[in-house]
Amino acid sequence: MKLAIHWMFLGILAVTSFAAMAKSDAGIFEYQLKNGLKVVIKPDHRAPVVVQQVWYRVGSNYEENGLTGISHMLEHMMFKGTKTLKPGEFSERVAKLGGQENAFTSSDYTVYYQVVGKQHLAEVMKLEADRMHNLVIKNKEFQKEREVVTEERRWRIEDKPASNLYEQFNAIAFINSPPHHPTIGWMNDIRHYTAKDVRHWYRKWYAPNNATLVVVGDVDPQQVLKLAKRYYGVYKSKKIVQPKPQVEIPQQGERKVVLKGATKVPSVLMGFHVPTLATAKTPEEKQDVYALSVLSNVLDGDDSSRLTKDLVRGSKQLASAGAGYDELSRLETLFLMEGTPSKDVTPKQVEDALWQEIEKLQNTPIQPEELSRVLAQTEAQYVYHQDSIQAQAMVLGASISVGLPVDTDAHWIEHLRTVTPQQVQAVAKKYFSKDKMTLGVLLPNGKAPVQSESSAISAGGIR
Amino acid sequence: MKRFGLYLLLGLGTLFLLPAEAAVKIQHWNTPNGARVYFVQANQLPMMDVELKFDAGSARDGDQFGLAYMTSALIGTSTSQLTEDGISSDFNNIGAQFGTDAGRDSASIYLRTLTRPKILHQALSVFEQVTSDAVFKPEILDRERNRLYLQLKQKAVTPSALMSDKLWSELYGKHPYAHPPEGTQQSLKKLTAQTLKDFYRQYYVASNAQVTIVGKLTRKEAEQIATRLTQSLPEGKKPAPLSQPMPLKKAKVVHIPFTATQTHYALAQVGIERGNPDYAALFVGNQILGGSGFSSLLMENVREKRGLVYGVYSYFVPMKVSGPFVISLSTKNANEEKADKVVRETLEGFMKDFSDKKLQAIKSNLIDGFPLRMDSNSKLLAYASMIGFYGLPLDYLQSFPKAISKVTKQDILKAWSKHVHPQAMLQVTVGQK
Repeated sequence: MKLAIHWMFLGILAVTSFAAMAKSDAGIFEYQLKNGLKVVIKPDHRAPVVVQQVWYRVGSNYEENGLTGISHMLEHMMFKGTKTLKPGEFSERVAKLGGQENAFTSSDYTVYYQVVGKQHLAEVMKLEADRMHNLVIKNKEFQKEREVVTEERRWRIEDKPASNLYEQFNAIAFINSPPHHPTIGWMNDIRHYTAKDVRHWYRKWYAPNNATLVVVGDVDPQQVLKLAKRYYGVYKSKKIVQPKPQVEIPQQGERKVVLKGATKVPSVLMGFHVPTLATAKTPEEKQDVYALSVLSNVLDGDDSSRLTKDLVRGSKQLASAGAGYDELSRLETLFLMEGTPSKDVTPKQVEDALWQEIEKLQNTPIQPEELSRVLAQTEAQYVYHQDSIQAQAMVLGASISVGLPVDTDAHWIEHLRTVTPQQVQAVAKKYFSKDKMTLGVLLPNGKAPVQSESSAISAGGIR
Repeated sequence: MKRFGLYLLLGLGTLFLLPAEAAVKIQHWNTPNGARVYFVQANQLPMMDVELKFDAGSARDGDQFGLAYMTSALIGTSTSQLTEDGISSDFNNIGAQFGTDAGRDSASIYLRTLTRPKILHQALSVFEQVTSDAVFKPEILDRERNRLYLQLKQKAVTPSALMSDKLWSELYGKHPYAHPPEGTQQSLKKLTAQTLKDFYRQYYVASNAQVTIVGKLTRKEAEQIATRLTQSLPEGKKPAPLSQPMPLKKAKVVHIPFTATQTHYALAQVGIERGNPDYAALFVGNQILGGSGFSSLLMENVREKRGLVYGVYSYFVPMKVSGPFVISLSTKNANEEKADKVVRETLEGFMKDFSDKKLQAIKSNLIDGFPLRMDSNSKLLAYASMIGFYGLPLDYLQSFPKAISKVTKQDILKAWSKHVHPQAMLQVTVGQK
């Protein structure tokens, strides 16, 4: 009875504050609860389905040496019980509702999500809110789950030479700033986590004022806000101590890492430090980000773009090629280019071929047709993107979690339209030079991992 | 960094309970020259997806492994009027997306475009040309073959790929499902532009074609599009049905020694064809065993209780004729035997009995989770296409869920003991002993 009155009270409070909910022209509703939880709602009535995501602003870029990957380890433990739920019960309950659920960790955030029929939104909000505050990390469960994470690392990284190279490439591209270490963590660090470490990490970062709730689907925003207040509004905010600024030192010459692994085909990775929309401090620097975004699409947006057209189809030097970067990264990031050589082409020739493409961009403005193709693609993709409510929620959560406006994606095309061919040429000159390059080369180690022909044993029964 | 990445693969091609209000209507008709059309109207977004699908997968390769795959890969690279760069820029300049793929059963050509009239018209015009007037240029074949050689080389150092190839070849022996769709180094060498052209002429024909359309179109517009896309295809004829594969008679263990930290493991047998009357019982049972992620018995026993793996899954792959049933995982080399033992005990235990509570939970999951399977144009396209290609009833979206709701424990135990034979399964491992 007491509970019911309490809920009603919250409901009334909510009614009075509806007017304060800001709606953007992209149909996105934005609100902040008194305890600091950000709430983002986007109604989409195409199917009677809704996705709930909770984004915590913590990930591997918040971690320190010796505890790398601890955000990801905590993500795993979030399924292992609370004060009222047994280990695994969270997933059982969501499954019973017909829901799909999972979680993922990146450098800047840790995200939990459920997709359910719209009638079950309140139930999954109740469950998700519970583990925001009431997680219980038992030693026994922790030890088993640490084994699972080591298996995950073996599966994802250890047996994949290209993944190993990428880790080491990042480690030399970023010397003193957090992207130095991998999101999943170094194996040695994983092995030495304790349950205490994970509990500490949970207490330090999991709080309403360090999280964003994103709901997209067949919902009424005011109803969602009411539920958000009921379930998440009851927790107090915490004092969140942000990591000290760890600004990457300037690069003063080419860096290179070579890795010899169990691969038959070499590959080449090139990276250049660039700003992102989140790190850009001035309007000029923001414009650089949009120009770099156009540039990345000119190189590798589709199969008409230069890397495929010139190097894979044209000169046929490369078997595959790619370029791109994450414009929404919270910290300074890398503009990446990569290539796999065709038969009898050396990694050095791949590097040279990629450089020729950079020099073309530095020496000549891009063609107007190239620019209009990039704009047409961006416009169409924005429509295609609406086909999935999960994809819509992802981009809202990613923007807001790195401190960008929630409608960043909705206005993306308007900003790209302001980019000129001269600006693209200017950023190619400004950010790409040999002295600013980090190079990663994967070479075959010459060993045959298949030790002999496979052996077939016919067995009558079970081994 | 997902907790497990294969989640989306689990429900492959399966459909669920349909609340009346969410009923998706699949319309069906034939074009004048005999292509089958499946259409779902979806007016909310100004876009359209179309798939042209042919019974022209690698099961039609004959002894030229890789033929169907390579034919499919070269569609969209030239026509009698258009060059490769011309085709790609015609699509890309208007933001249209074009693609092809070929598996064992079928080959598909896809187009996704905005429905603004000018854009739609241009996209369809190019799409029609590349599908019905494909030209196979020797120099493009050479280039794509060289790229594929590199991929095949890389496959030889990828344990999961080695395992999968071995699994199919051991299970299917001389059946056309046995070889990998992309062929082998030796078989690819023999392909010529002419063999590709002949394959295209034989299989990419109206009577072997299916058009699936989802998007913001009226029935009349969809009819016009389907007719337009198929009118230049020769009528041709449907290929003969595939032979039934023979199941293994007794258990078999195959090990590929491979230097790595983990062993990749699969336990498999020949399973069932799409449309099998026992499918509902097998499907619901598999959700309990290993098809439903964290709530499945395999995940509980191998991962949650013992921490042996990151992921473990079981699945049926229903195909034109019996596709495989597979349980797979990867674990550090030292734990392979332990994991194998738990997998086999879990399978056999499940086939003896399982809790009524589990069955109820899974049914409730399938019923309530139904709308999630149909919440985007992409998903609708995949389902309508599957229903058409495998000749499932048009009301499958209503009839299959009904069948699921009626499935009892006895049905499941009976169907599993009829179709799944733990004593005669193939075990493949790739790793270090």
